[in-house]
Parts: sequence; C-alpha cells; structure tokens
Amino acid sequence: MFKPVLLHKTGPQIAQEIQACIGCNECLLACPALAEPITIDVLNCQTLSGSISPAVAHFARSCYQCGACVDPCPVGLHRDAMMMLLKVRLLRSGWEE
Amino acid sequence: MSRQATVPIPPYTRIGRPHLDSANIVIIGNGIAGVTAALEARRYAPNTRIVIITEQIHPTINTPALKQFVLGKLERDQLLAYPAGKERAERIHVVTARVEYIHAQQKFVELDGGRGFGYEELLIATGSTPRGFPSHLPGRNFDGVLTLHRLQDYLDLRRRLHELREAAVVGGGPHAIETVMALLQRGIHVHWLIRSATFMPHVLDQHASETVIARVRRAGGASVYMETEAVGIMGRVGMVAGIVTKQKQLLPCQLVLTCTGTQPACVLAEHCDTPLHCEHGILVDDQLRTSIPNIYAAGDVAALQNPQTGTYETRPQWYAAVLQGRIAGAMMAGREATESFGVQWHATQLGELSMLTVGNPLATGNDVTELVDTSQGGYRRMTLVDNRLIGYLSLGATQPDSLAIKRIIDEGLAVRDITKALLKGNFDARKYLSQLRSRAAHSILMPQKGHVAVPNPPSQVRLLPVTGPLGATPSLTQEQAHYTEPLPARVQVSAYVNLDEEMSPFTGNLPTLSKPSASGGVPRSPSKRRSAPRNLWSYSNKMPTVAPERNTKEEVLDV
Repeated sequence: MFKPVLLHKTGPQIAQEIQACIGCNECLLACPALAEPITIDVLNCQTLSGSISPAVAHFARSCYQCGACVDPCPVGLHRDAMMMLLKVRLLRSGWEE
Repeated sequence: MSRQATVPIPPYTRIGRPHLDSANIVIIGNGIAGVTAALEARRYAPNTRIVIITEQIHPTINTPALKQFVLGKLERDQLLAYPAGKERAERIHVVTARVEYIHAQQKFVELDGGRGFGYEELLIATGSTPRGFPSHLPGRNFDGVLTLHRLQDYLDLRRRLHELREAAVVGGGPHAIETVMALLQRGIHVHWLIRSATFMPHVLDQHASETVIARVRRAGGASVYMETEAVGIMGRVGMVAGIVTKQKQLLPCQLVLTCTGTQPACVLAEHCDTPLHCEHGILVDDQLRTSIPNIYAAGDVAALQNPQTGTYETRPQWYAAVLQGRIAGAMMAGREATESFGVQWHATQLGELSMLTVGNPLATGNDVTELVDTSQGGYRRMTLVDNRLIGYLSLGATQPDSLAIKRIIDEGLAVRDITKALLKGNFDARKYLSQLRSRAAHSILMPQKGHVAVPNPPSQVRLLPVTGPLGATPSLTQEQAHYTEPLPARVQVSAYVNLDEEMSPFTGNLPTLSKPSASGGVPRSPSKRRSAPRNLWSYSNKMPTVAPERNTKEEVLDV
C-alpha cells in the first residue's frame, strides 16, 4: 500500500509556476545535483507532459530536494516543487511500463 | 486609389485541395504569446492547419533571460523558450513574412510581396516596439547607441562589453534597472538617467523608490541622475563618446542604452479593412477577442481590462503573455475559456534585491487600509479593503511566493490570519493554502458538524469581474475556405482541463500501481470530475485553461 505522496504544491500550482518561469537558469546554476547540461526549456516541458529523456530522468533522480534552487529565482518560483512533480511523473511512468 | 483596389485574389476563392496559402489558424508573430497559442491550439485541434507568420529570424526565446545572457550566465541555445524543433514536431508551419494588411471581411491577410493568406481564426501577437530616443535627438545614430529590445540588440551589447568601461542607461522602469544591475555586475561604470523624480512612480511609493535607488548606489559603480533627460549624444569619429543631459552636463561613456519602455505594435489594428478598437493596445475581452469576429490579440499588443481599475491596459510581462497565448490558442481551437487574468503581477531581481508588485499597492481611498513594514532590511506595503488584499509590494533579500499572493488577491481571500506574516515577509504560502484546502475538505466531508472556520467560503469567494465581449462589428457573410477539417464548434467549458489533478488523499487520486487504460489516453475525465462549482479545491479554476479533447493522445500531468 502506497502512502500519499506529499507534494510541496499541487499540480495546477506547479503548472502555473512553470508558465511563469522566465528561463533565467538561476535555479540550475544553484543546483548541486545537476551533473549534465540540461536546459530549462526541456526541463519545463518534460516536467509537465510528454516523454522524459534519460538526462532529465537522471537529474530528477539525483535531485534530493535541498531547496538551493528556490532562493535564486528572481520571480519567486519553486523549482524544488517542480522537481518533486517530475519525480512523481517518473515513478508513474515506471509503473506504467 | 483605394486600398482594396490593389489586393490580390483572396486565396480561399481557389477551389480544390488545401494549399500553402491558407490555414485554419493563422498567428501573426512568434513571440511567446504567439507560439504558446499555436501549441495550445494544436493540443485541442490535432488535425487543423496552424501557421505562424513572423518577421523574426530566430525561434522564440525567453526574453526576460536576456540579461542573464549579457552576463554570460546563459548561452544562446539556453535562451530557447521551447525545445528546438518544437514547432516542427507539433506540425506548426512557420512562414517568414510581414503581414501588411488584414482583410477581415474576406478573412485573409496580405503579406509583403502582395501574397494573400487565408484564415479561419486569426491571432495578432505582434508584441511591442521600443520607444527609443526621439527622432530629433542629436547624435542618436552614432555607433554605440542601442535600444535594448530584441535578441540582436543583446548580441550587439554582449560583443561590445569587453571594450566597455562606462555606459549610460536612459530610462526609469524595470527594464532600465535590470540593465543597470547587469552592467554593474560586469564591472562597468553606469550613468543612469531617470526622467522622473522617483523610480517607477506608478508602481513604487517614495520610500520604495528610495530603497531601490539606494541599493543601486550601494552596489557601487553607478551614478544615478534623477529628473534628468538626455538632450544629445556626443560622438567621436562616428562612435559614442558621451551623453549630454538637460542640465548641460557631459557624461563620458562608450555606450548609450535606451530602456525607455515599449509601446504595443498596433499597426495592423489600423491596417485592416475594419479597424480594430485600439487604445494603448488592441482592446480585447477576457477571451482575447477583439472587436472583429474571428480575430484575437494576445501578448504585449493586447489591452485587457484591469479588474481593479476598469481601464484597459497592456500587460507586457512574460507570465501574462504565456497565459494569454494559452487562452487564445484554446479559443481559436474551438474552446472557450471563462477565467479572468486577475490583477497585475510583476516580480524581478535587482541585483541582490527582490522586487514584487501585485495588484495595486498604491491604492488610495477612504476604504483602503495601508500597512507598511520596514523590518529585516526590506520594505513591504499592503493595501487592503474590507480585510481583502488588493495590493502588495515587497522589496527584500528574497522573493516571497509571488503567485500565491496573486492568487490571494485574485480570489479575494480573507487575510485576517496572515496579515502579519505578509507584512513581515515571512508568509508561508504552502502552509496557508494547504490549510485552506484542508478546511474546505473538512467542511465538505462533515457539513453536519456545524460551522467550519473556512476563511473565505467557496460560495463567497469574491471573483474578479469577467469582461464581456467587446462591441463586435456585425458578422459578415463569409465564403468558406476549402479546408480538410473545419474547426470544431465552440465548446463552453469552465473547468481546467489537464494539469488540474491535485494529488489528494480525499479524492483518492493518488498514484496507484494499476495499469493505464488500454487506450493509453487520459485515464479519467478531469472536466467531469471538476465540474462542481468553484471552491477551494479548485485552484485550477483560477487558471485560464480549457477542457481537453477526449481523443487526445498527449500524456497529461495527472498528479
């Protein structure tokens, strides 16, 4: 039996935040877990829908929710919540395979 | 000779198979609003022909990130707003041309070279143009006078940075200060000329303006000149050598950057056989319909009604353009969105200072309560009416949860319990919104247990007014184009389509180990599940989105 997954924010809230993302890259620059180059446009698209590339999947698994990405955001968005959502999508895609 | 006398034969009069000069949905402009509209339309109309007509020679980029590009934090490839090849993958055809004229009565646009291009639905997303220096300003043509607006301008600036010691920035808005801060971070001395007595006088009060200016001065390397205008630019052998102010002061510099604001690119509103209603932008309603049927406007060119003031104004911000693009795309694909865009929202980073303005923090009146806090080295100002927040201004080291605050204003949520936290800048939006949902759930699950202290019961949520359609011109009888698949009839929807499922132990929509449906499509129909009246569960109700096609194959966010 799975326990409820606690998201920082709801899906709609995260979708709204992704729409407000200006693509400045500050969150990724601050990330200590990012090991390979990933661009914001790809990350945002794959966080919301569609297939998840190996690079983004690896990044999502590497993210340990330290929150270092939140403070640098110039518009007050929460990349940690987006990454949590991506993790959930990744889990779901794994279950559905 | 009349304008109509020179027009080519409308493309839709040609009988036969669909051809390259007509489309179901035509979008003018490939800025973020235009491309977002195209992608959204594609989502709901998988088989219609969508074309973007643009003069721009590069894909859609994150324009707010151009400052980071100048700083060297981003490379060009990282500026893309959507992954490379997105338009092609979504079968969105891009035509590089300039639209000269709109023949609204016959439903086609005239491109440069006299070509015609037919449409069923047309979106004007031509963006804005920079004001720049007045045409009579002496020296405005010297090499080194740049107007920062497009990617090419920033490429130009970036090339020049290595030989730059001093620069002048002209302008008193967020664009100007972001440019100043970017140059300061590159170690360049900046002369900053501001025409008004305070910085951003329509958004910031005196104290906030002084705080921002003081922070810029403290950053080092900036000389700020208030109430100062440029009256000329000095040059030497064709290049900028300095800028002359109204006070007859010569400020030496090698570069002059104008950041004096933008104006909506409304030329097509006039270049139309039935001119569109235009006043500081093309007037649109909340469904982004212009005064002419089947023509929409979105992005910097569109003027929407401010729900707080009732006036029509443009919203030249990234987030607003994305939302408008989504709405316009859905509308053109036959959906109908009924949501309001809410109040103005602007968040930015000014060096180490985060600035946020939501709604109308400078509102005045007998019924308006103003609260101000200057603790923790920051500055926050709130305006309230009857325990409802109507404006919020924040300057500080960190950015608050800006979209959550916008939601509080948009939905008119009571702020009695969080006033102090908002004022002190330590508002925990996640906790607050989570509590709201919990209380709403409690009231739903146990209504017989008596009153539950929901801060703002769903039925009493003060909704922002949704503007009705503009005074549309009478619909004219149109010959129909010969398309493979006409657009579907408009479907009235009120619920968010995808991305609206919030994981909740109450709804039972937690991830399970069950296999997806055989069709591989969306396992549930969110629109059915969320057809209930607006309540505190339906955060998505504030998002201007629409119902999905039932046969869509796209995987949707479902958590």
